[in-house]
Amino acid sequence: MTFQLQRETRRLANLLALALVLAVLPRPTVVADETTWPMLDTLKSACIDCHNQDYAEGSLNFDDLPWNLHEPENRERWVLVYDRISRGEMPPEPDDLSDELRAQLTDQLATQLVSVDRRDILQEGRGAFRRLTRDEFTNHLRDLLQLPKLDVKSYLPPDRERHHCNKVASTLDLSRVQLEAYLNATDVALRSAVASGVEPPASTSRKMWATSMFESSETFGNREAMFYAKDSRMIPLSGAGLASIRKNDQHDPSVELAIFRSASWPYFGYPDKFLAREAGEYQVRFSARAVRQIRDFQLRPALRPVPMTFRARKRSGPDVSGDVRATGGVIDVQPIEAVYETTIVLKENETFEYSLLGLPVPIVFADKRPIYYDFPPMPEGGHRGIAFQWLEITGPLSSPQWPPPSHRVLFDDLPVRSSHGNSSLPIELVSEQPRQDAARLLRRFIQNACQYPVAEPQIVPFEQLVFAELDRGSPLAEALLAGYRAFLCSGEFLFLSEPMPTRQTDEQYQVTVARRLACMLNNSRPDAPLMQHALDGELVRQAALSQEVDRLIDSAAFDRFIENFTDHWLGLKDIRRDEPDIRLYPEYRFDDYLIESLEWETRQFVKALFRDNLPASSLIDTDFCYANDRLSRHYQLQPLAGSHLRKVALPSGSPYGGLLTQGAVMKVTCNGTSTSPVIRGAWVMDRLLGNPPPPPPPQVPAVEPDIRGAKTIREQLALHTEDASCASCHKRFDPVGFALENYDIMGAWRSRYRSTSRGEKITGIDRAGHPYRYHVGEVVDASGQLLDGREFSDLKSLKKHLLEDPRPLARNLLHQWTLYATGTTVRISDRPVIESILDDCQVNDYRVRDLLRGLIQSSIFLGSESPRLTP
Amino acid sequence: MTDRIPARDHHGSSMTNRRRFLLGAGVGLTLPLLEYFQAKSLGGENNGTPPQRMLLISNNLGVLPGPFFPTGTGADYKLSPYLNELADLRGDFTVFSGLSHPACLGGHSTENCFLTAAKHPTKSGFRNTISLDQYASQRLGRQTRFETLNLGVNIDRANRSLAWTRDGALIPAEDSPANLFRKLFLHGSPKEIESQLHRLRLQGSILDTIHQSTRQMTLRMGKSDRYRLDQYFTSIRELEERIHRSGEWASKPKPEAPEVPPSDITERHLLFEKCEQMLAIALLALQSDSTRIVTLMIDAFATPVFHLGDEEKSSTGYHNLSHHGRDPASIAQLEQADRRQMKMLASLLAKLKDTSAEANSLLDSTMVLYGSNMGDANIHSNTNLPILLAGGGFRHGHHIAFDHDNNTPLSNLFVSMIQRMDIESDEFGSSTGTLTGLDLTPSG
Repeated sequence: MTFQLQRETRRLANLLALALVLAVLPRPTVVADETTWPMLDTLKSACIDCHNQDYAEGSLNFDDLPWNLHEPENRERWVLVYDRISRGEMPPEPDDLSDELRAQLTDQLATQLVSVDRRDILQEGRGAFRRLTRDEFTNHLRDLLQLPKLDVKSYLPPDRERHHCNKVASTLDLSRVQLEAYLNATDVALRSAVASGVEPPASTSRKMWATSMFESSETFGNREAMFYAKDSRMIPLSGAGLASIRKNDQHDPSVELAIFRSASWPYFGYPDKFLAREAGEYQVRFSARAVRQIRDFQLRPALRPVPMTFRARKRSGPDVSGDVRATGGVIDVQPIEAVYETTIVLKENETFEYSLLGLPVPIVFADKRPIYYDFPPMPEGGHRGIAFQWLEITGPLSSPQWPPPSHRVLFDDLPVRSSHGNSSLPIELVSEQPRQDAARLLRRFIQNACQYPVAEPQIVPFEQLVFAELDRGSPLAEALLAGYRAFLCSGEFLFLSEPMPTRQTDEQYQVTVARRLACMLNNSRPDAPLMQHALDGELVRQAALSQEVDRLIDSAAFDRFIENFTDHWLGLKDIRRDEPDIRLYPEYRFDDYLIESLEWETRQFVKALFRDNLPASSLIDTDFCYANDRLSRHYQLQPLAGSHLRKVALPSGSPYGGLLTQGAVMKVTCNGTSTSPVIRGAWVMDRLLGNPPPPPPPQVPAVEPDIRGAKTIREQLALHTEDASCASCHKRFDPVGFALENYDIMGAWRSRYRSTSRGEKITGIDRAGHPYRYHVGEVVDASGQLLDGREFSDLKSLKKHLLEDPRPLARNLLHQWTLYATGTTVRISDRPVIESILDDCQVNDYRVRDLLRGLIQSSIFLGSESPRLTP
Repeated sequence: MTDRIPARDHHGSSMTNRRRFLLGAGVGLTLPLLEYFQAKSLGGENNGTPPQRMLLISNNLGVLPGPFFPTGTGADYKLSPYLNELADLRGDFTVFSGLSHPACLGGHSTENCFLTAAKHPTKSGFRNTISLDQYASQRLGRQTRFETLNLGVNIDRANRSLAWTRDGALIPAEDSPANLFRKLFLHGSPKEIESQLHRLRLQGSILDTIHQSTRQMTLRMGKSDRYRLDQYFTSIRELEERIHRSGEWASKPKPEAPEVPPSDITERHLLFEKCEQMLAIALLALQSDSTRIVTLMIDAFATPVFHLGDEEKSSTGYHNLSHHGRDPASIAQLEQADRRQMKMLASLLAKLKDTSAEANSLLDSTMVLYGSNMGDANIHSNTNLPILLAGGGFRHGHHIAFDHDNNTPLSNLFVSMIQRMDIESDEFGSSTGTLTGLDLTPSG
């Protein structure tokens, strides 16, 4: 979008007219002539002065641009020509093309382009036959095998991203590396679905008192960071004293383990001795209370809860080897002693450590001897922490049913016995007639994996494989797994087709729509009700489709959509990319809890857009936000207690509201040290307003930025954009970035810039106990002017401008989803469809769920030919 | 308690050898391996000609052009400040100027094209092409346990790689030295080998099956969709070939592990330490003839604030820093980083030179290419790339300068290198021939 509203409106009018034309003509009768188009000369004569053989500005030369719209690449170029002319950007001088002629030209060009594009789609499809993404493939396996915790991520190469999306058909390549990865991942997945024995694995339970709950007698950060207490007072326990208690089993149940720091290197807050012998889920129960440490190491009940989680890790001392993963969710420990329970997932030989969120992380000073730490000075009311009384861990947990459901997916209820000798599996199937059982189980599995009746010839190759393995002497279970694995690596399972109502049988078509819908909204395969609708031939009906969309949005699996979509669209996957620069922002030192909370906030907010059907304008502004204890401080709201996010009404005058100013967005759009209006501006224009900055024209020589002697970011940019060719682009996106200058690298409000040398000196001691010093200098100037001339003094007034026309926001969402759902960017012939969805949603303020429903019910989603969408 | 604290701060000012591994000063590459592979070569698979190897390194942000490029041309050129770090090896490398990939423009988008020379990486519908290493390995066939090793440091594995298949699909880089070491040197018991052979056979049967079953799908496809399936079938075929050869290799013993396995450095800011560790193992791989082709992408772009030396770290992430805007402080830091890499290169070449191989030194049988897709990262320029070639039995010691304003295709150098590998081919990427001025030594 640009801010040239008048032209924008005219373009829309063109497209609307076009949409009408197309609606009247079910089959395009106006077909582009291969060689001529009456207006071609008119167009050329207006443009040829700049775009000719000798002087091909913007590397466009009309002598070299054949009027052949059937060739897709050529058509793309003509679409670009159409866009520039219809937006009034080209030709640049109004005298070169009269308004009347321009309208006529763009009308006709649009008609030509759309009709050729539509014909192409009819013949070839929209072009979205693609393989599953890594996440989709994993979720398919999880859902099919009933292994919700299956983790095969490390076996599969990550997918490439394009246009801020990881589902783009043209980038989802298949290489031998990819194929080999499927072979390995499916092997691992199938084997973990098999029962680990005839009986469930023995589960052990261990209860530990506080004096067994921590490996050592003290930790990094000294006594202030952790101690053992009795009657709310520290008891001095040496390493030897602790060892003696453990050796003689003389634990005192009234002793507590009190921790006041967060988990970060160096730290190893895991229990004495415990090690997971087997990978799996473990139940953890523990008794604890939130406390304050006051003078002389005494404990008092905390004033508000303290959040914590567990982290799975190796017992490798202060250094971490292998991965460290939060597990078991966040638990808000309350000031009154209580018992908490959760389930954690451990790999073999892992243990778990206590990770208290949002507390100090002392850093070791190793440059001097003896090595020392500073714990931060005691805040008013004391250091916050948690005192634990005992903990009990039980596991590995096994399914209440045995063999587990995943095993039954593979082998139904065939009896099992312990395997011996020639099997690599822990169990073997007992069968009187292995071939018959193999044939039956294979069909059952393929049917289940495909979710629709598979024709017999398609099963034959797999059956041959299983039989060949049996003939070779493989045990039945292994022979079957070979067949299953082959099926899971076959094209039938790996690829997603696009719905093509004219080419597919009704059943195929309905199933394809169901798969597309499930991949979009659940990042997985259709669940049973969705598939049933498809098989009944009932799915592609307005009411049914709409109901299913609602049901999937409200389902728990919708979180998969939110995560994947926001990871790429908003770049949330990169939220930990840059460490905050603690020289300038000491308050953010090791504040993982803040970053985590910011991530939760944005995901929660985006989810609410759909669940609560909020208007598209919510991207720019809302009168509420989602916050927890940490965010309420970050956003200067009334203090909240606890880690869970809740909807909070924003006080009037708050500079927050909407997605635009959320800390997560502010963080991913800067480098951790300084903010850049260029990057933030371009990000907003691209991701929210759907108007990405154009690439620099190739023929413009690279201009070396000279920022010597520049002071403020504004002056630096002024120097950078002295060149007119730079400036013409920068003025499209820089202004929006300037308006966001009041938000620091984490999205906290600031009115002045910080620096390391200039301005008023600020000193203090940070949350890790380190002294800091920075300077507060120039006042932030957040004013600017949009391309269309509208001025603003700060973000608030910019928001007003942006909210005057929410249509571009809504249009951008539709564009993002089109790519996400179909794997292909919006094509020229999709545009009238998009505009008509927008028209439908306009009266009700372009609400997000309405827009999504509109897209899903359109021909873009349901297939090229006029869809069989019956009421 | 305090004695358990590792003696290093967050910037890793000191580290155990296990993490630093081998390339660091003083840790020698005196190896029992050599005997192993000399013996093997004597067994005569190469009909007398010693094999050639390639080690291809790219830093995707390049170096500062000013202090890199030398003045003067030919054999009498004057070493530049950076090349001064390689002064002792002056006769062992050639520095080039005026090379680039034609029409391979687009700032950082060219990073995946450094070894492919694919044109117009920013154009819609762009598809990468086969990379030099893959091309060479395809032509050579499998002569070693690994056709190629594709390595990366700090690499964004999903999106960046030097290695691309014929179909233009990304081959992810190995970024764990510990994994790499395991693949190279740790071998299994007879039972494990047997089960590996079984696994390979089964994989072969599965590929057969999915080939048959997916062929049925093509009958239902439009022609644009068939492209995707062609990729699938190509993958099946390629994997079948590899499995076949893996089977042959699985029964052969791996070389003796020369050192204790390294443990990975996970801190991204320890960029150079990570590079050294990776290069050390790459060297072992070449030395033990486990592979003859190695690529290494130093993903400077994905490197956050990093450790420059001793107690110093960069003021901002590598990419930001590369846009120095002539700020003297930033330039000073970049120089430090660039010099560190030059030193690393010097130590690598010295080690190769000190290691004897079939005929002469390992350096004589290894072409080491160091370069970048960026000519000047500050201005996003993709021309006049910094390129340096060492070893491989070429007549070195020159600055071969091409036209600054009308660059010569870098692919010409690639063709010279391919031919040096004994591959009969006179074109690659955007080549127009071999590289003029680069000759073999009489003995080479």
